[in-house]
This record gives sequence, structure tokens and C-alpha cells, in this order.
Amino acid sequence: MAVREKTWRDVIAVSELESNWVTRVEMGPRLIAVYDTPSGVYASLALCNHGGADMCDGYFDGHVIECPLHQGAFDVRDGRPVAAPATKPMRVFETRVADGMVQIRM
Amino acid sequence: MSKAIVTPLTQALAEGKLTREELKGFMQRSNGPGLRHLALWILTLACTTTLITLAWDSWLIWPAMFVQGVVLVHHFSLQHECVHYTVFRTRWLNDLVGLLCGVIIILPHRFFRYEHCDHHTYTQLEGEDPELIPLPESLGQYVLYLSALPYWRGIFTQVIRHALGHLNEVELQFVPKEEQGAVFWDARRLLAFYAAVFVGMAMTGWWGLVWYWIIPLFLGEPVMRFVRMTEHVGRPTIAQMSENTRTILAPKPISFLCWNMNYHAEHHYVASVPFHALPRLHEKLKDHIYVEKGGYLAAHRDILRQIMSRQNQVEA
Repeated sequence: MAVREKTWRDVIAVSELESNWVTRVEMGPRLIAVYDTPSGVYASLALCNHGGADMCDGYFDGHVIECPLHQGAFDVRDGRPVAAPATKPMRVFETRVADGMVQIRM
Repeated sequence: MSKAIVTPLTQALAEGKLTREELKGFMQRSNGPGLRHLALWILTLACTTTLITLAWDSWLIWPAMFVQGVVLVHHFSLQHECVHYTVFRTRWLNDLVGLLCGVIIILPHRFFRYEHCDHHTYTQLEGEDPELIPLPESLGQYVLYLSALPYWRGIFTQVIRHALGHLNEVELQFVPKEEQGAVFWDARRLLAFYAAVFVGMAMTGWWGLVWYWIIPLFLGEPVMRFVRMTEHVGRPTIAQMSENTRTILAPKPISFLCWNMNYHAEHHYVASVPFHALPRLHEKLKDHIYVEKGGYLAAHRDILRQIMSRQNQVEA
């Protein structure tokens, strides 16, 4: 079976990001959360893997995104859960900025 | 398209009750308000503790212990806020303070967090909300609930069950498999701590903690039952947050004691909003939620009216 190679895809213009906050982007069937942080831009799937709430409505502080429903939290740099009830890592994407666009590798 | 679940917050945003910018503003956290509130809290505890000391050799120790108990049981409100990480911006401070509150009121913090998650997901839905308090069927049941006897029976049974390594069917639904062992060890550590406290008192012959902590805790718990009953009891058992939860307008000293948890509907709408911002959120949402302007007594009058009306219907 052929394995499809991962490619860089445009997500959103850097100028459209909410500063020091999380921005929701729809990409085909996926909801992506894009984070503007002190150490750069990161991206993950937007739905919490605990209760399914949209984390783009949650509280964002530094590198930590908190689910608005139960306040489970994740480090957006590597997806690591940092506060219960989050127990599993969230899916994060390789992210870069090129020509003023945030791109993720998927 | 992946679909997020519908929550009170997504509804509020979709219906324009709240804008995204307003939401961001309300959610901002800092340590200052929580630390100031906590300092005043400790001062209040110091005052009530002094009252017990001053009343030591007289019958006045009983009202003094009751006053101390009223403050002690409100550690539940602080612990509840810590579960939501809405007291301090520094996350570990919420964990530490929440854990200590749980030790004071015999409520393991980790377990409470998981149980409370389902309360927020299934608020007031019969058979799904693990914290749902049913409308008492009679005046006798109402008084029994307020006595806190069923509450303590439940707590002791629960902690002992967890220490023995068991979860009941309801608990299995909300405690993740990978956290079950930690829940069991929390209960064992808690019981070991209480045992050590009693052994320590027996060895030193100083039984002060019984008078400063244990008896006041049990004397005060009916007050917490009185408060907690007003949050949802008597409101419709449906998913609509605008209907199933009561916000109570209360005087400042009471809001202080319950860390603004009287703004309960606002809290359920946006659980990420820190306790100190709830009065501001109330101003924004007050036309979209159920507000009891007459305070806790009016809420209980409403509950009693419903109990009596149901009883009359059954008798008819």
C-alpha cells in the first residue's frame, strides 16, 4: 500500500492570528487550533481528546491551552497533558511560518 | 467536518450572549485576587479559631465551633474553584490549595475533579449527572438532607471503598482507567493521614484538633448542604443551562465565603472564568439565566413550595 507523503500546507496568514492566543481554523474535515506563543507558532487538533469540546474557546496562557469544558490542559509545543482530566497527549502538527503563512505538515 | 460537542459556552457564543473578545477578557487570570482572598480567608479562620479558644471553658464553645464550622465547610467552595484552576493563574497553586482543602473537608481532590467533570457535562440530567441532588419527596427527606447525615454516610463509604481498591458503577464511568490506581492511593493516603493525626493526639494527650476541626466540620456541614441545595435542586432536570441552574444574589460576606459560587449559572456557562470575574460575567449574562434575587432563603422557599405541592398532588 502506498504511503502518502506528508506535505506542508497553508493554514492561515500570520497577520490573521489572534495575538498571544489561540485561533480556530477549518481545514477540510478538520478543525485546527493555531497558537501564537512567546516561542513561536504551534498547531494541534482543536477538539479536546477528553470530552470533545472545542479548545479554541478555552483559556490560553503561554504554552498551555485549557479545555473550556473541564479545564484539562495541554502543552501546545508537544501535546503533553499538563492537567487532569486530560490524560492522553493531544495531536500536534509540525508547524512553520513561510512567506507570512502558518503552515502545518500533514 | 469534525464537530465539537455543544456546551453552554458554545451556545452562548452562537446566540450572541457573549462575544469572543468578551470571553477572552473574562477568562484572564492572575494570582493577585486569589492570594488576597486567601489571606483574608486565613485571617477569618484565625478569628474563628480564637473564638473557640476564648470560649474554651464555657458552653459558648458550641456556637464558636459552629461559626468555625461554617468557615471550614466553605473550603469546599475554594476546592471547587481549584478544580477549575480559577483561583490562581499559577496552576500548581490551584492543585496544592485544592488538595489541602480536600484534606480539611474529607474530599479527595483528584476524585472530586473527575466526578465534577461529569457534573459539568451532564448538569441536572437524571442518571448521568453524578452530583445531581433530587428534589426531596417529602419534608422529612428535605430535613434529612440538610442534616448532612446522608452526605457523610456517602463520603465515608466512598473513601473506604476507594481505599479498598473499588469504584462503583457510576464512578467507573468518569474515572479514567489510567487514574483509578491514583484515586485508590489518594484515599489510602488520606485515611493514613487522619489515622496519624489521631495517633498523634492520643500520644501527646492534646485533643485540640477535635474541638478546632473535627466537631466544627460536622456542625457546619448542614450549612454547606443548605447552600449546595440551592444550586440546582428544584430547577428543571433538562440540559438548558438557562433553566437548570440557579444564580443567587447574596450579600458580600456570603459571596466571600463561597468564593462567588453563588453566581452558579454564570460558572456553568463559562467554567474557565476565574472566581473574581464572576460578578462581571453576571452583569453580562443576567438576562439569559435564572436569578434568585431573594437570596438563599427565597431559594429554599421555592424548593419547599415544590415539595409541598408534589406531596399534595400525591395525597390527592
